Amino acid sequence: MSLQTPLGRVRGLGSAREGVAHWWAQRVSAVLLLPLSIWFLSWVLPVLGQPYSDARVFVAQPLNAFLLLTFMLALIYHALLGVQVVIEDYLHTRWLEVSLQVAIKLIAFLAALATAFALIRIVLGA
Amino acid sequence: MAEFSLPKNSKIGKGKHFPAQGAKSPKQFKVYRWSPDDGANPRTDTFEVDLASCGPMVLDALIKIKNEIDPTLTFRRSCREGICGSCAMNIDGTNTLACTKAIDEVKGEVRVYPLPHMPVVKDLVPDLTHFYAQYASIRPWMRTESVPPPDRERLQSKEDRAKLDGLYECILCACCSTSCPSYWWNGDRYLGPAILLQAYRWIIDSRDEDTGERLDNLEDPFRLYRCHTIMNCTKTCPKGLNPAKAIAEIKKLMVQRRSL
Amino acid sequence: MAVKRPLSPHLQVYRPQLTSTLSILHRITGLLLSLGGTLLVAWVLILAQGPDHHEHLQAWAGGGIVKWLVCAGFYVFVFSLVYHLLNGIRHLVWDAGYGLDIPNAYRSGWVVVVLSVVITALLALRAMIGGAA
Repeated sequence: MSLQTPLGRVRGLGSAREGVAHWWAQRVSAVLLLPLSIWFLSWVLPVLGQPYSDARVFVAQPLNAFLLLTFMLALIYHALLGVQVVIEDYLHTRWLEVSLQVAIKLIAFLAALATAFALIRIVLGA
Repeated sequence: MAEFSLPKNSKIGKGKHFPAQGAKSPKQFKVYRWSPDDGANPRTDTFEVDLASCGPMVLDALIKIKNEIDPTLTFRRSCREGICGSCAMNIDGTNTLACTKAIDEVKGEVRVYPLPHMPVVKDLVPDLTHFYAQYASIRPWMRTESVPPPDRERLQSKEDRAKLDGLYECILCACCSTSCPSYWWNGDRYLGPAILLQAYRWIIDSRDEDTGERLDNLEDPFRLYRCHTIMNCTKTCPKGLNPAKAIAEIKKLMVQRRSL
Repeated sequence: MAVKRPLSPHLQVYRPQLTSTLSILHRITGLLLSLGGTLLVAWVLILAQGPDHHEHLQAWAGGGIVKWLVCAGFYVFVFSLVYHLLNGIRHLVWDAGYGLDIPNAYRSGWVVVVLSVVITALLALRAMIGGAA
């Protein structure tokens, strides 16, 4: 039980003076993803089920590789921002919340790196 | 984890049934009941009301039940014409004012619950302490430094006054805030649609001189940005106002004052 | 206050409606796409690894119940992408300050639902004709 006043509780630690940057970044990445998603749905979707050589030939084309890289980086960034909000919304066990927030940033970073390395390797034909 | 189910002490049990003898036009009202005095869990009682001898609104039926069937039924009401906001409750699955909700709008049994996800004081009376404290936190009055003219009011052009239309009508009944899932899960920190609409009402008032400070205080991942444009607020507002639009305008101002 | 006040019912009594339903669907599809994105990264990695790994993958996904699950998962992913994309446009328009009234929100909501189903179906049809899943 706390004898803190309701107003004191509402004011809490005060305003964080942030949130716009996150909100804006979510929208900018969304706008970027609009044309890229349409490209992905039109051209990449069928490739996912193709045999190895066909799929690799498709991805190895510089323009395709570039678009796929841009699409996946934007997607990873946009997803990171979105999942962050979902965790903030629903998870109110502090240690779990903090661990997950750190974990998703790590996962997103590794996913972005892996994608870049893999695509570069495919394009260079190693 | 946000709790999606009701805590143990809040689970709703079966209640009593009060049939109406010889009613010409009976209608069932299933009403949420909880009393702090008996230590029991909440329940829903079913009252049969003869619409032939009842006023047209849900509030009329509640008053009739209190007068004729169970005087312990507890609810807030005052103006009975949609201007005080006291009788806000959840009727037939959405939040509205009992005094302006017509009984014949509801097909079948009329389910009446307190405003959602709030601590209950008794029956249909929710504890609005936190909601009012949130309202106080935005300091909802005109904040100025300029000395007012000695011989007249602070003037406002007609166009600037028109910007307050659709905002000043808010009666703070809390229907919108308690319809918002985001307010359910994060109401301790998220200000909710009603308070944000009120905040916007002062932000765009041309006579106010503290706009930047007001925006500063809202610029927060929880106070403002828990709004995910779900739109339940606008859908439910019994005054036909648009809190979702007001919040969208605040978010636009937040972007407008910074570099991209 | 000795008595602990109960919490009034919320999800249990609030009427499901287009506004909140499409909103939670936007969130669910977003989470599914995050998962799908992770699998996409895995696919690119396997593609870079070489044909052996890719054949393992295709052999694993190629038969029986796994094939059906992969196929179902694939179309859940496609629908999620289409829906999240279209509803995302709806949200961007809202953020710009337009169409936030209830009649317009319902109109745009239904358009998004119908278009998502139709486009997903067309993509499935294309896959069937083209022979690739």
